[in-house]
Amino acid sequence: MHVLAAFAAESALLPSRIQMAFTLAYHVILVPLGVALPTYTLVMNGIGIFRKDPVAIRIARRWSVVMAVQFAVGAVTGTILSFEFGILWPKLMGRFGAALGMGFAIEGLAFFLEAIFIGIYLYGWTRLRPRTHFLLGLALPPAGVLGTVSVLASNSFMNTPGGVTLGSSGAVVSVDVLGALFTRALPYEFWHFLIATYITAGFIVASIYAVAWLRGRRDHYQRLAFAIPFTVAALLTPVELVVGDLSARALVADQPAKFAAMEVTWKTQSHNPEVIGGLLNNSGQVNFGLSIPSFDSILIGLSPDAVAPGLTSVPATARPTIVEANITHLAFDAMVGLGSAGVALTVWYFVILIYRRRLPQSRWFYGAASLAGIGSYAAVETGWATTEVGRQPWIVYNLMRVSDAVTSAPGAFVWSMLSVLIVVYAMIAVVAITLLLKLARRWRQEDAIEGPSAPEEGVPYGPRRQIVREAAPGRSRRGNPGPIHFIATTIVLGIVGFIVLIFLAILLSLVGLGAAALRTIRGSAKSSSS
Amino acid sequence: MTTALGNFTALVMLLTITAYSVAGGVDYGAGIWDLLAGRGPRAERARQLIDRAMAPVWEANNVWLVLAIVLCWAGFPLLFQSVFASLYPLFAMALLALILRGAFFAFRHVDTGPVAERRTGIVFGVSSVLAPFFFAAALGAIASGRVAVGEPNIPVWQACINPMSISFGLVSLSATAFIGACFLVGDARRFGMPDMVGYFRRRAVIATVVLIVIGTMALIVLGLENRQLFNAMLAGLGTPFAAATVILTPVVGFLLWRGILRWYRLLSVVVVGSLVFAWGFGQAPFLLPGQLTIMQAAGPLGTEILLSIVTLMVVVLVLPSLALLVYLDQRGALESPEG
Repeated sequence: MHVLAAFAAESALLPSRIQMAFTLAYHVILVPLGVALPTYTLVMNGIGIFRKDPVAIRIARRWSVVMAVQFAVGAVTGTILSFEFGILWPKLMGRFGAALGMGFAIEGLAFFLEAIFIGIYLYGWTRLRPRTHFLLGLALPPAGVLGTVSVLASNSFMNTPGGVTLGSSGAVVSVDVLGALFTRALPYEFWHFLIATYITAGFIVASIYAVAWLRGRRDHYQRLAFAIPFTVAALLTPVELVVGDLSARALVADQPAKFAAMEVTWKTQSHNPEVIGGLLNNSGQVNFGLSIPSFDSILIGLSPDAVAPGLTSVPATARPTIVEANITHLAFDAMVGLGSAGVALTVWYFVILIYRRRLPQSRWFYGAASLAGIGSYAAVETGWATTEVGRQPWIVYNLMRVSDAVTSAPGAFVWSMLSVLIVVYAMIAVVAITLLLKLARRWRQEDAIEGPSAPEEGVPYGPRRQIVREAAPGRSRRGNPGPIHFIATTIVLGIVGFIVLIFLAILLSLVGLGAAALRTIRGSAKSSSS
Repeated sequence: MTTALGNFTALVMLLTITAYSVAGGVDYGAGIWDLLAGRGPRAERARQLIDRAMAPVWEANNVWLVLAIVLCWAGFPLLFQSVFASLYPLFAMALLALILRGAFFAFRHVDTGPVAERRTGIVFGVSSVLAPFFFAAALGAIASGRVAVGEPNIPVWQACINPMSISFGLVSLSATAFIGACFLVGDARRFGMPDMVGYFRRRAVIATVVLIVIGTMALIVLGLENRQLFNAMLAGLGTPFAAATVILTPVVGFLLWRGILRWYRLLSVVVVGSLVFAWGFGQAPFLLPGQLTIMQAAGPLGTEILLSIVTLMVVVLVLPSLALLVYLDQRGALESPEG
């Protein structure tokens, strides 16, 4: 009985953190495909239309089915997340909802647009005129970008809050909309994550066709489906390394404790070594690990004299614990390691592409390429862990602690909810994977006998299966009359135009990113000279 | 300015909840009839129709739910905190039902044999019952005045389980079955399954009777529990909507009973919509009856302005797109030409 009573009385803090981490880590798997796969699909669709390549159309159509399956799962896990803000962290939203919630409100709009246009795109393959269909699909990438920027605006607010005035109770009393949406962290968080989604989606899709190559399939279909996503992802990988470097440097000024945890730096000092691997112990020493003298300082300020912030520069109650610091550090190292491996693969690819003027033909290359997808996922997960664990113990940096935001529900309640969620999420994963494997098998069989069919058939969220054979009168007409094309064009151009405007605003913020980097370099140079 | 914007945000939130009640209701209702279909060849045909009618929905109704949530936490942070602090068990149950439903709808389509299909079908059906019940129970708990501002001031189970929350849940269930059956009649006609038209017409008439009975009982509970809301529904802002529900529900039942298959779907939407409106307007200006008004809970001016802009964008961008989706669907432009 004592055990039970103790269990019931336990705080909900630990299970709430685990539950949030679990459901977010799961949702993040779906995000790269949700944001970036539509773009790859549309590129393929465009190739199919403008180069009159039926194979490209077939590929695009199959990808759109994958898009729909992942969107359905993502819609459910995303809805759960939004409720969890209330179930697990009601006090966070009570105090900061007015600021933090704005980004999510915009995300609600983007989610809506995505839902509608994925529906139209998926169901429209056969009955809409190809160009109308393609045009309607063009609404998807900007909607994905809008969703990304708005969610990251909320996350950035948690990392570098700004644009709000707090009352005596600590709640937000007035909000400067632009200030709270575009906080300091947004430019680098946004670009770092957006590029990550395109790399991950590109590599995961390409890795499937790398496996196909290893299994002996080497036709136009395989080459096209491999080369397009792989090339785009490969072009972006080095860019990501640079953006990631800028982001890390901005942290020196924006969140020094997080940066110190990432580099397991105990004391603020110049000539700080870069530690790869290794574990920080309670007395501030790093065991194991490979230490490169002064390299961290050089990375921060391009000089060994640059000062690196240490964990002890922040009071013990306001910085990550030793365990959290180690998690942050190892996650960061894993992300950087995976990113560097990605760059190596990219170099390999382009060297062969440029000098031999053909795709690589080595089993080793395709072996590596088939791992690139999972590798990018691991990088996304570890990168996300770095930013979230590194912010501890804060839910809103320096303003609200995680422990002050948690629900007053009993721990037992959250533990039970967590266990049920784990079971259900595992089931969803099984269903989704079974379904995708089944589709893949069927598509392979179809390609073997060269009898193309509608790839959407048999997808739970796909178009209706025909029960009645005879078509209703007036429905047998293929294609569509002019008005639909006109309406569609107007709507899509309006949406694309609107989001392009937002995009431009963000592009301007890139300038801010550069300025932040310069600030950091100058700042550390100044403090090293003083 | 803040008052006007706060009222506007509250209205948009109510509209969003209404949209979810209608669109989600049609969807959940189909799930309820799937559960009640029983066995045999006729039940199989009914399930085929339900399946086909539901396929294009693919969890898209969740957008309304998400929109209501984000409007609530940004526009009325204190309301959001209070509601979840007191009613988290109800939301956890509703949420669980929501995922199970989505997962098992998909699960049913993975070939695993007839026994597994029946079992997964049952989970799907049961969760279609639980989700609308618990979501509406949360609204009932709010209407009962048992949700305190900030942290709960009575035991959470009392805030969650009380006559009001249960009666709201039951009304929601019968309204869901009602609107679900009405739309399935339409789908049966659209897909050319005349036997199913009759099948769902009978069920729609039964659901109408059940809705009237349960609705009357709920009104009595409301009169005993929250006199103010009861009065506001009978003689106040909520009156026109309450009246619309009371008058139109039997009309829909009558139309379907006599086989006059015109206007019944639109009217069933009006019935469910007015039901939600009667509650919302009856409770205004309170978000938490007797404790928290729209004015008190409204977020800072900047946030309310942003939410108005987002709403405007929804009107300018989303509604035309949605109209396009419906238009294309109705024209058959979104059908897969198999067969």
